[in-house]
Formats: sequence, structure tokens, C-alpha cells
Amino acid sequence: MIDQDISAADARALLTLHDETPSEVSRRRFLQMVGWGVGGGAVLGTVGNALPNDWFGSMREAHAAPLGANEGVLILVCLDGGNDGLNTVVPFTKPQYAQYRSNIAIPEAQLLKINGELGLNPNLTYLKTLWDQNEVAVVQGVGYDKHSQSHFDSMAFWMFGRSGSFSNSFMPSSGWVGRWLDGFGAESEQFKAVSVGSGLPLTLVGEGRRGLAVSPYGIDYGGSTSAPNMRMYNAIKQFSSTSARRGIWHDTVALAEKSQIDTAQTVSPIFKTTVPSGELVRQMVVAARLINADLGLRVIDTRIGALDNHSNQPTDHNRQMKQFSDALAAFYTNISPAFRNRVTIMTWSEFGRTPWSNSSLGTDHGTTNPHFVIGGNVKGGVYGTHPSMLKTNGQPLGTNDRMVSSLDFRQMYATVIDGVLGGGAGAVLGGNFDKFDLIRTNSTPSTFGSTGSAGSQFVGIVPARLIDTRDAGGAPLGAGQSISLPVAGYGGVGAGASAAVLNVTAVGGTAGSYLTVWPAGVTRPNTSSLNIAGLDVVPNLVISKLGTDGRVDIFNFAGDVHVVVDVVGFFQNTPASRFNGLSPARVLDTRVGTGAPVAPVLGGSSIDVQVAGVGGVAGDADSVVLNVTVTGPTTDGFITVWPAGAAMPTASNLNFVPGQTVPNLVIAKLGAGGRVSMYNSQGASHLVADVLGYFSPNTGAKLIPIAPARLIDTRVDLGRLPVDQTPLPVKVLDRGGVPATGVSAVVLNVTATDGTANGYVTVFPNGEAAPLASNLNITAGSTRANLVIAKVGADSSVALFNSNGTVHLIADVVGYFTE
Amino acid sequence: MADLAQLQHLLRRTEFVAKQPRIDALIGGTLDAAVDDILNVTTPVALPAYIDHNIDNMGYEQFVYAVQWWMDLMVDSAKPMQERMTFFWHGHFTSAWNKVGDTRSMMTQNKLLRDNAFGNFLDLTQKVAKDPAMLIYLDNKDNVKGSPNENFGRELLELFALGVGNYTEADIAAAAKAWTGHGIDTSSSSPTYGLYKYTDSRHDKTNKTFFGTTKNWDGPDIINEILRDNGEKKYIAARYVINRIWEHFAFPGTPATVLDALWENFASTWDIKALMRALLLRPEFYSPAAMQRQVRSPVEWIATVMYQTGRRSAEVHPEYYLDAMGQEPYNPPNVAGWKHNAYWINTSTMGERGDFAKDIANRLRTPDTYAFISAKTGANWNTSVDQAIDTIVNLFGIGPLSAQTHAAMVGYLNAERGPGGDRWWQITNLLTMGLLAPEMHVA
Repeated sequence: MIDQDISAADARALLTLHDETPSEVSRRRFLQMVGWGVGGGAVLGTVGNALPNDWFGSMREAHAAPLGANEGVLILVCLDGGNDGLNTVVPFTKPQYAQYRSNIAIPEAQLLKINGELGLNPNLTYLKTLWDQNEVAVVQGVGYDKHSQSHFDSMAFWMFGRSGSFSNSFMPSSGWVGRWLDGFGAESEQFKAVSVGSGLPLTLVGEGRRGLAVSPYGIDYGGSTSAPNMRMYNAIKQFSSTSARRGIWHDTVALAEKSQIDTAQTVSPIFKTTVPSGELVRQMVVAARLINADLGLRVIDTRIGALDNHSNQPTDHNRQMKQFSDALAAFYTNISPAFRNRVTIMTWSEFGRTPWSNSSLGTDHGTTNPHFVIGGNVKGGVYGTHPSMLKTNGQPLGTNDRMVSSLDFRQMYATVIDGVLGGGAGAVLGGNFDKFDLIRTNSTPSTFGSTGSAGSQFVGIVPARLIDTRDAGGAPLGAGQSISLPVAGYGGVGAGASAAVLNVTAVGGTAGSYLTVWPAGVTRPNTSSLNIAGLDVVPNLVISKLGTDGRVDIFNFAGDVHVVVDVVGFFQNTPASRFNGLSPARVLDTRVGTGAPVAPVLGGSSIDVQVAGVGGVAGDADSVVLNVTVTGPTTDGFITVWPAGAAMPTASNLNFVPGQTVPNLVIAKLGAGGRVSMYNSQGASHLVADVLGYFSPNTGAKLIPIAPARLIDTRVDLGRLPVDQTPLPVKVLDRGGVPATGVSAVVLNVTATDGTANGYVTVFPNGEAAPLASNLNITAGSTRANLVIAKVGADSSVALFNSNGTVHLIADVVGYFTE
Repeated sequence: MADLAQLQHLLRRTEFVAKQPRIDALIGGTLDAAVDDILNVTTPVALPAYIDHNIDNMGYEQFVYAVQWWMDLMVDSAKPMQERMTFFWHGHFTSAWNKVGDTRSMMTQNKLLRDNAFGNFLDLTQKVAKDPAMLIYLDNKDNVKGSPNENFGRELLELFALGVGNYTEADIAAAAKAWTGHGIDTSSSSPTYGLYKYTDSRHDKTNKTFFGTTKNWDGPDIINEILRDNGEKKYIAARYVINRIWEHFAFPGTPATVLDALWENFASTWDIKALMRALLLRPEFYSPAAMQRQVRSPVEWIATVMYQTGRRSAEVHPEYYLDAMGQEPYNPPNVAGWKHNAYWINTSTMGERGDFAKDIANRLRTPDTYAFISAKTGANWNTSVDQAIDTIVNLFGIGPLSAQTHAAMVGYLNAERGPGGDRWWQITNLLTMGLLAPEMHVA
């Protein structure tokens, strides 16, 4: 229902989240209302380089990390309304140019020639200077197949960056930079992408994350530095001094208000000196100052409007080209030398214009265009070929004919996503596009996660019970039912947590079933977290990304079952602790006196086990990953592991029945002296603990939690053969949301079912010898699951080894650790 | 007798604000009686003449008028639950002005949703399916024999009635074919121009297989099958819709106990008012998980601020701020409507709330508004720190304050009244702090 003749301004307004009020009058009224005022400051020759550090003081660290050493910055310049590429980069040797455009053609003598065939618009003087410095790539023939002549359709297509038809049945809900932001999780809430403007274009809107908008005219609320306002801001920041204990949203609102003030205070100093006027000049100076402030910005979106030159083109287009060139000059005058060569500027426009001019000294909506990629990190030159100005049969184009694109615009996007933004083009664009070799040095790879997750750091906590459906008022989870469990903000979990480590226990299941734990808000995956069969109480450690509102959903397949969930730690995107994998080492075995005297742990008592400094665990470890096994118990009971010195929480890690050997992965915060306490509820049980890794605030890998994905199920894969004593390699990289490179270890939930004999399963790096350790104990005929953290070995794979008989194995990936 | 805290919670969730006159009127009766009173909506609302038809080249002005009119209605309605329920249906049966681009159609839909807000869900769904704005928004006007457009059929199953996972792609294709020919009258000379029109020649009369039954389905049959004739789908639909309503009025993740208790009667009657009555009387609605545990959406927060400060749309222009906060009425972001809680909280939107609060605080600093404040709170508030804070609390209805908010206000006033402070600012800034207190953002 979008009108094909919709104006460029209206199309942009439809594709912008807010403002871009339709008329100049209402826009001015709006600006006055919110106190921005309409700027008319004098143009300054030189503002200087980096802003004084003391303007930012300690504010900056509060919410923005400086750019990494080799991280690039991308500035998008939208030539809004459809730029006339033929009068921007003029193919002066083609006779059709002067022939088709007799009333608007630029004489060859005036052009700023860049080679024997092409000349820049004479107003692009600064661009020519950059060209002469070998810092400008001219990419010719850019567009897409079946080019739309609608401003809206084509703008939506460029902003969306994926295939689709928009005007009729589909409105894009995200933009390509927004989806790149999605790959970072919560850290992109802050300063990764900014639109210099009063609205947020679709380009910067992701499915889960979005960029920020910074008005080129300054910031009002939160940005003032007057003494009374600062007193008020400081007081408002105290709303979140500690939890109000009125629920997660009260605290989250208070924290967001603090963060907003910090953000505004960070950005507002760049407006201390007058910003020169001129639409794009102003934006580009703000862009330069934002980069100089070193806030960790990676993408800045700008635009120059009203290039929809249906008439009076020579005057208007020349003025716009001059503005573009002046804006480049202003940018390079203002940008700090520290950042100059890390910035890449890329132009885009919804379409080019007709090769024939019209009788009103204008041009109409066309197709293909040349675009510029500019910067100190760009290999200057001409890329692609100029589109033909003739029909395929060699005859001249008619006045209604248009040129044909030879390059897809997403090739430009892929080039800058991977070259400037550190990767992720395939996921962002939904396919692979050939890139141009025009970036000199690729940016440091980012922590982009292809399924929209974050590089996360671990915080261990004293275990806390989040839910026990056996409590008063609770009910078991029925067949096919799900519950949605709030995690972020509860039980000591931070409000900004991206993933949680949960010990999930199923109690009293009435049927063979399984539980699936997955991030709320996404479709339930075909994976399992815990199997219910044959045992009354089944625990398993689960690492799950948190979904909508910081929740996980828990699904029960069949029968009724009570569910108990304890949280033992969480992952966040601000600095905390990172994972260090170890070769499994035994730190406790009460049967032989390792780590504790030779004696079973008696019911109602606990032992303290030294972990820091033992078995390769560093002295600065604050949490450890243990595989704890109970062996030879005499009654039913459970084991609780918690930080030594803290009060024992209501939580359990491991449940057992007489005589049975049961392991479970345990992630525990270290307490006093680097120790954990282990409690046995009943009877007399021997305990064995192998340490598999630890978390340290100083070294290690970050976890990227992802929505679970099934990697293998031998019941349906591999010709349905169960696994014997031959190690089974399972490819884990470049699958299920795990990237192809940069991964040190994967987190799997491994399930064994239909085993023919008692034994165990070991997961280890493919290509190495199977170690003497077990991840999962099997009894014939049962179904068991355990969480496993495994290093990746040869062929991008881990190996699964079954010690006895045959068994079917299922592996779901729930996260991975970066290198 | 209704418990005061429960009554305040009930009013905040159903009438935006726990207005003192409403509390006074309802506190003496039972909670049942309060719910009945809230739901006793009998007065029809007529559309203002300015927005009941299209005016050439004035679409934006009409849109602004429509936003202002609705916001004022939310604030001033004697029974604001009518507007809250209408807004819920607007977010459920979404259509967006941006795409529909037609004042008359959008406002006709608005009236349809309001007039049926507490009616029959089956009836409402049938009416929405033939509503011109919906026919445009989800393209059913272009859904014709031989070239089916699945947009409406898909959303009918996915978002309006059943939820993901309760149908197959083949069911969507069948639903789309069944709805072919149900379009709008495009003949500009026709008296029914722009209204619903069935065109027999565009309707696919072949047999289609929908939920296992093969016959010549027509569009309305599809809705009857889901909501009337198919017992399994009826069960799913009732629970799906109850969940959507519960998450809007109570909290995310509807307890199974609520669904189990409410679905059967809803599925057999589709009586929305009866459902709402039962839902608002559920003990879970008054549980700790519910009370003061929901973020006010921008519309709810601005309506609350407008009521508490006596300001109306023509003065404060909510349309600018709502847009910037991400909740422009008549323009849901996509067919799935608006989300809850975290969706409204980020640094950009909190900055917009700050701008609005500051603008309102400045407007309150005029002689007549001092009179307004005095009349409303009965206090000379510019005296002791505690009196000043009490005045703000009473003015905005945000008591009792959390210890953190209270301490922040005390700290601010002491700083502004102390050495180097500027006492003139304390009024404006304390007003701003009251409007921005988490107690104001959370209902």
C-alpha cells in the first residue's frame, strides 16, 4: 500500500523510528519544544583534534570502552533521494553522456579527472584531494536485480540488506547494522552505533538491539552541566544506588536512568564548541568528535537530503556535491590523527537516476550508481565497470530506459562488515557476497556471535533457588507445558545478565520425558537439557542464554514432573571472570584420601575441599568447573556444593539413590581460602571431583551463549547406528551458531540413551587419545544427560567415546568459548 | 471490603492511575463490586467529526489530532478501562496508519475495537477480518483467486488466534485461499468506496484442506472453525488469547492455574467482559509477582503524567514524545504489536521521558499551577524537606517511596538548599525527579 510515487522524505520518515517530522514548520516547533533550538552557529575553520580528556573525566569508563587497537570505524553517508551518479562520476569518453544529457551534462574541461575515462563532479574538490592520496575507492555499477523505482522500496531494501519485497506483504523489521549489533548482546546498548540525527533509521535497528540517536544539535535532558542540573542528575543516579527490593523493573528503570545520564554527559561535551552549520558538514563534525571521544563507536550513520533532483538539477546537485565535499573536508580537519586511518566512509543511495535528462533540467528515478569507499585504510582505485549506456543490441537507450547494475550493493556491505567491523557479513546479510579487495588492513575480529549473543564473562554466586514447583501453590509441569522463569535480577543474578548457569532438577516424573531449557522469546529448539526416566530425581547443569525480559523457558515433553531450578552463576558483558580450560585433574576422592581424609561423607555433614592452587587451578581463580561424582551411597540423598565460609544455601547439585554412581557438572564459586564446601544430605557417600577448568578475572576466554542447537543424534543421523568403542567425531565449528574460527571450547549437553551395557562416555578433543575421565555414566537401558565443556580438536571436532557396549548419543551445543 | 493496596493496583492496571475519586467511590465495596464497576462500560464514544473522514493533504494533521484526542480520552474518560481494552485490541489486531495511510479506515477500526472491546471475541475477530484498515494492512485486499496473498491468513493463525506451532504451512495456504475475494471497494464513484467488498469472481471456490477437513472453505468459515467448531483449536485459541491479555494486564508468563481456570468458559462463550471479570479477580493478579511489577508503557506513563499534572494534549504534545519513546498510537512497529517491560527501557527512551518530565516541570512553574498544586495537595510544600517531598508524593501519587528514591530526593534538596545551591531550582527539579522516579514508571 506504499504509494509508488512517495517522496524520498516520506519514505525515509516511514523507515525511521521517530521524528523526521514531515514539515519544516513542525520540525522547528518540535526542536523548540524540547529545547534544542535550531542551530545557526558560525562555521569554524579548525576545531582541533582530540577533545581535552578532562571534558570526559571518569564518565567515559562508566559506559563505553575505548576502541581496540585495530578496530575500524564505519561512517555511512546516505545520499538521500537518489543521487545522480552520472553527474557525480562522469564517464566523459562515452558520447552518450553528452548526447542523453544535453541540458545538464558537465563539460569535460570542468571535471576533476581521476583517469582517462572518469572525472569527478567539479565541486568534489576535497574528494579529489583524497583520491590523489590514494584513499578513495570508486565502486561502479552498484545496485541490485529488478531494481525498484520506489523510494520506499529501494530505501527499505538498502537499509534491510536482505532479499525481500516490501511494499506489499512484507515490511522489514531490522536493518543490516542493527543485525550486526544483535551479534553483540547487551554491550551494544551503549556506544557501538549512532545515528547523527533526531531519529533512528531502520539501518541501525536490530531484532534485539538498536543503535543510539545523537542529535547534531546537542542533547537536552541529561546533558546539561549547569550546577542545579548536575545536582539533580547526581540525585537521580542515586535512585539505583542499591536495589529497592521492589522487583526487577523498578531497579532496571533506575539503572537505565543512570545510564542515560552517563551517556548524555559523555556525549554532551562534544557540543561545547559550536558545531559548524550545513546539514552534512554538521553531522560529519559531530561524527569526528564522537570518534575522538573514543567511546568504542564502530558505526556512525549520516545523511544528506533532497537529492531527488527531478528539476533544476545543475544548481541543486552542484550545491549538494559541494556540501558532500565540504563535509569530508570538515571531517578530516576535525578527526584526531589517532583515529584518522581507522575510519572508513561509505556512501549509499536508494538508486541512481535516468541516463536521459528531462526537459525540466532534471533526471528521474534510475537504477545503478557509483559509490565511494573512503579512508586511510582504503586501497584507492576504480572497482567494477561502468554500466553500459547502450541497449544490449548496441542501440541507444530510450528516454524511459535505465542502466543495469553489475554489482550487488551487499558486496559493499560484506566488504565493510568483514573488513572494517570485524566480521559477521554472512549472518548479517543472510548469505555470502563476493567482497572487494579494497581494505588495506582488516579490523580485529569482533566477538560477533552469529545467533545474536554476547561475549560474556562469568560471575559465580552462592547458589540460590529460583523455583521449586513443589512449594505451596505450585503445580507440576504437565505434558507439553512450558513455564517461563525470570532469571535476570533474581537470586543474585545481575539485571544485565546474558546467560545463566542453572542446576535443573526434575522430581517425580510420571513418564519417560525430557526437559528443554531455552531463551524465552525464541522458538523452542529440538534439543533436550535433562532426561527423565527410571529415576525419581534427575539433576543436570544447564547453561542457557537468557531471552526476553531475562527469562528462560522450560518445556516438559510428557507426563507430569516437578521442576527445581537453582542458579549458581551468570554471564554478563561487562568485565568479570573468564574461562580457563584444564586437562581433567582429580581434586577430591574420599575413597583414597585425595583432598580429604579416607572416609565417606556422612549424612548431614559437609567437607571443605581446597581447589584454588590445586590441579592447575590458578591462585586468582574465583569459580571452578568440577565434575562431581557420588559413588556408593547408602540411601537416597543429594549433594550441595557452595562457597566455603558462606551459609549453606537451599540448593542441590546432584541426587542419588542407593548404590548408584552419579556424576554431574558443577560450577561453583570459590569461598574462603579458595575452597568449596560439599554437603551430603543423608547416608554415607563417597565423593569424587575432577576439576575441568576455572574462571579468573585476569585471564581466559569469554563464553558466547547461544540458543541450543542439536549437532548429532545417532538415532536419526549416521544411518541410525549406535556408537561402539570407536570414538565418534562430531564437527562443532561453523554449525549451530558456532563460528568457524576463534573458538577454544564448546559447551555441550550430551545425552546417552538405549545403552546395552553399564559404562561411561567421555568427551575430548578429536584426534587425541581418550583420557581416563568420564562425563556421563551409563546404566544399561537408561537415558542420562550431562553438561560437558570440551576443547575443540582436529577437523573442527570433538570426539565422543563410549566405554562399553553400544549406546545412542545426542549432543546439543549451548555455547562456546572464544580464543 | 476491598483492600486499599489491591484496589490501587487494580485501578493502576485498568484505569492508568489510581485516581483518588475512584478510590473513594470503590473502597467501601467488595473487590468484586470494584471490578464490576470498572468493567461497567456503557457509554459509546463517538469519533470527532474532524477525523471521521479523509481530508485531502491533511492526513498528518488528522493523525496528530487522532493521537491527541485518544490520549485525552484515556486521561478523562469516566471509565478508562474502555480505552485500555481498546488499546490492548489495537496491539492485538494491529493495523498501522503508516501503511494504511487513510484516516477514515484507521478511525473506523479504532471505533470497531472500542465498540467491541468487551463484546464477543469470535464476533470481534470476524468483524476485524472485514475491517478496511485490516484488509489494507495485511493485504487481504490483494488476496485473489490464482494469486493468493497469505499475509492475513498467516497472521490470523499466528498472532490473532492460535500462536506459532499450532498449524502447518498448508493450513495457512488454505486459510489464504478461503479469504480470497474479501477485499475493498476500489471504485471511487461507488457509495461504498473504500469499504469492505466481496467479489465473487476473485474468490477461490475450490476445495481446500484446513485442519484436516477438505471442503470449499470461505474466509469466515476459517474463523468459525478455529473459534467455534474445532474443539482442539478452540482450546488452544482460548489459552492463547488469555495469555496475551494476562501478559498485558498482569505479568509475563501466565500461570497455568490461571489458564486452567479461565479457558473453558472463554472458549464456550467468547465473552470478553466475563473473561476480564474472572481474570481481574484471580488471586494471582494480586500476587507479589504482579503488584508494582510492570513498566508503564509510554502511553500509560504519559497518560498518568497528564492526569497527575492536569495537562492535556493540545498543550504538551504527547505525539512527539510517544513517537520518540517508541509507542506511537495507531502505528504499532509491526504486526506483532508492542511488547512489555524491558521493551520500553533503554537510554534513548529514558532520555525522552526525561525531556517530557522536564517540559512538564517547567510548565508547572507558573502561578496558576502553583494554585493547582496547592489545591491538589493542600500543602505549602516549599518548607521543610519532608514536606516538600510529601507534596511531590501526593501530587503524583507515587507513595510510599522506596528508601532509595526518598534518600535521593532528600539528598537533592539538602544540596540545593545548602552552600552553593540555588533554591529557585529546587521546585522544578524536584517536580522532575518525581515524574522520573521509578515509582512513576512502574505500575
